[in-house]
Amino acid sequence: MSNQDTYNYKVIRQFAVMSLVWAVVGMSAGVLIAAQLAWPVLNFDTPWLTFGRMRPFHTNMVIFAFGGSALFATSYYVVQRTCHVRLISDKLAAFTFWGWQAVIVAAAVTLPMGITQSKEYAELEWPIDILLGIVWVCYAIVFFGTIMKRKIKHIYVSNWFYGAFIIVVGMLHIVNSAVIPVDLSKSYSAYAGVQDAMIQWWYGHNAVGFFLTAGFLGMMYYFIPKQAGRPVYSYRLSIVHFWAILFTYIWAGPHHLHYTALPDWTQSLGMVMSLILLVPSWGGMINGIMTLSGAWDKLRTDPVLRLLIVSISFYGMSTFEGPMMAIKTVNALSHYTDWTIGHVHSGALGWVALISMGALYYMFPRLFGRELYSLKLVEVHFWMATIGIVLYISSMWVSGIMQGLMWRATNTDGTLTYSFVESVQAMHPFYIVRWSGGMFFLLGTLVMCYNIWKTIKGTTPVEAPVLAPVGAH
Amino acid sequence: MILEHVWGLFSHPKEEWESIRHSHCTVGRCYAVHVLLLAAIPAVAGYVGTTQVGWTIGAGDPVKLATDSAGPISALFYLCMLVGVYSIGMMIHWMGQTYGANPVRSQCVILAAYTATPLFLIGITGFFPILWLMLILGLPALAYTVFLLYTGLPIMMDIDPERGFLFSSAVLGVGLVALVALLAATALLWGMGLEPQFTR
Repeated sequence: MSNQDTYNYKVIRQFAVMSLVWAVVGMSAGVLIAAQLAWPVLNFDTPWLTFGRMRPFHTNMVIFAFGGSALFATSYYVVQRTCHVRLISDKLAAFTFWGWQAVIVAAAVTLPMGITQSKEYAELEWPIDILLGIVWVCYAIVFFGTIMKRKIKHIYVSNWFYGAFIIVVGMLHIVNSAVIPVDLSKSYSAYAGVQDAMIQWWYGHNAVGFFLTAGFLGMMYYFIPKQAGRPVYSYRLSIVHFWAILFTYIWAGPHHLHYTALPDWTQSLGMVMSLILLVPSWGGMINGIMTLSGAWDKLRTDPVLRLLIVSISFYGMSTFEGPMMAIKTVNALSHYTDWTIGHVHSGALGWVALISMGALYYMFPRLFGRELYSLKLVEVHFWMATIGIVLYISSMWVSGIMQGLMWRATNTDGTLTYSFVESVQAMHPFYIVRWSGGMFFLLGTLVMCYNIWKTIKGTTPVEAPVLAPVGAH
Repeated sequence: MILEHVWGLFSHPKEEWESIRHSHCTVGRCYAVHVLLLAAIPAVAGYVGTTQVGWTIGAGDPVKLATDSAGPISALFYLCMLVGVYSIGMMIHWMGQTYGANPVRSQCVILAAYTATPLFLIGITGFFPILWLMLILGLPALAYTVFLLYTGLPIMMDIDPERGFLFSSAVLGVGLVALVALLAATALLWGMGLEPQFTR
């Protein structure tokens, strides 16, 4: 039975292990679809293996299965340790674990079957959406309930970021997933036309802003100071940029709909707020970099720190690139091109994946009571991941800008210079480079899995005592 | 005298950085000569490659840029490289104190200028624009540039290797942002009338 003198590490161990499993599944799918774009024969004329179905399989596995499990694991770890109290309910926490895995398995089965609502990052059909909603509400209860039970007055900044992520994602999911069901595997959106598009991209961009950013900033604010052994550079900055991010991010959705049927004033609003968003985003980057910079004496012996530094750099780059691409003139070139994909992956691989992996490298030894098996392998992982990211981004920048230019190039008589298929032909070498980048990244992830497996194999699970808070708050 | 350090940065980088540091170059002498000359390589190569050589997609005729389109673009490209290197030098100077360095501004600008050497040199591939090949060759050039940064910064800034590592990482972050700024500026300028005009 639960012992109020120890933390609930069991659910964290479960989520942490599964996050790595899903990382491999999702990234393998990514490597497959990258290969299919370069060599379409790899669709094998098999419906469930085609690019059209494997692409949402890939996005759901990496975002919700890998990213989601990492968020659950780290948020449960951080909220317990910073509140100095065990999770309020082991049973409810266990339900969130098994429920989330059920959602993922349902996604893994239905998406290749072609069962989809066709909404990007919200493809799952309504029965799975309902299960997701229930799991999410329970997650909120466990998380906020634990905060309410805390032994110290102050709520550490990470918990604010995690809390915002939980609330906003819940709201986004419920609103965007509203549908009229036809049968168990088919439904129609409750919204139509451009309103549907706006709701979808209000959801879609804030899935990035709150699921992939706010949640992972919560991760960053705990694991970077912990790994560096230094306090957060500016606690005040963390609070200020928290509220600024919340306020500005929610408006950024329209930048996905520039030059579409969306009203021009809405597009302009989205563009302006996306540009303003640069400032609070960089608040997080500055805090992370400056906190790490104080730990210069640890660098020689700590490859995990290098992972964290690079993740923050890519965060800074991506949160600059995003607002730039939200400018209408730039978007007119970049929309629908590979530049968007490059941007997504600089954020997803460079920021989200690397910060998660840094956090997992921190947690696993403490969850299982044994030092990391090999620091050398962490270094190998680091280099493979970085090479993979650089190959991915550079190839997509080149191919994306090429697409943008080729699609809109006109001759002096006004006719198009290139046919569409010529632009596809031109993409081929860059799709090969991108595939190789993804392959490097996947292999690095496999190195991590091996390292972690050797670390935890044969250990007895740790029962960690709840520590008394230091000093008064 | 001109371009005296270029070969050394490839054959024995550490020693070359020491030599650069001790030569106490002024911005006028070292930066101007080095960057003005080397940055011309990608700009001129790009102009010649796009207007005289062209590239083929599939089995079609070679596509080229019209000279009165490529001209302003090459000139602006050249200007951007000068401004970019100088800006990164200024950022290095601004960040110096955080990392326990107290650099003279000229040292920072020169650090940026010499670090960028491999990227300037690889611009020669612009003479024969085969994009995927330029990417394959450009990536090792980029890697060596980063290597030069991490090697040269602790020497030029006169700080210990650990702090130098973090400082270099911050500079790399600035470099990434500068690269994205260049991309966005390019797309913006294209949209505002500087779009490449093709001849086919």
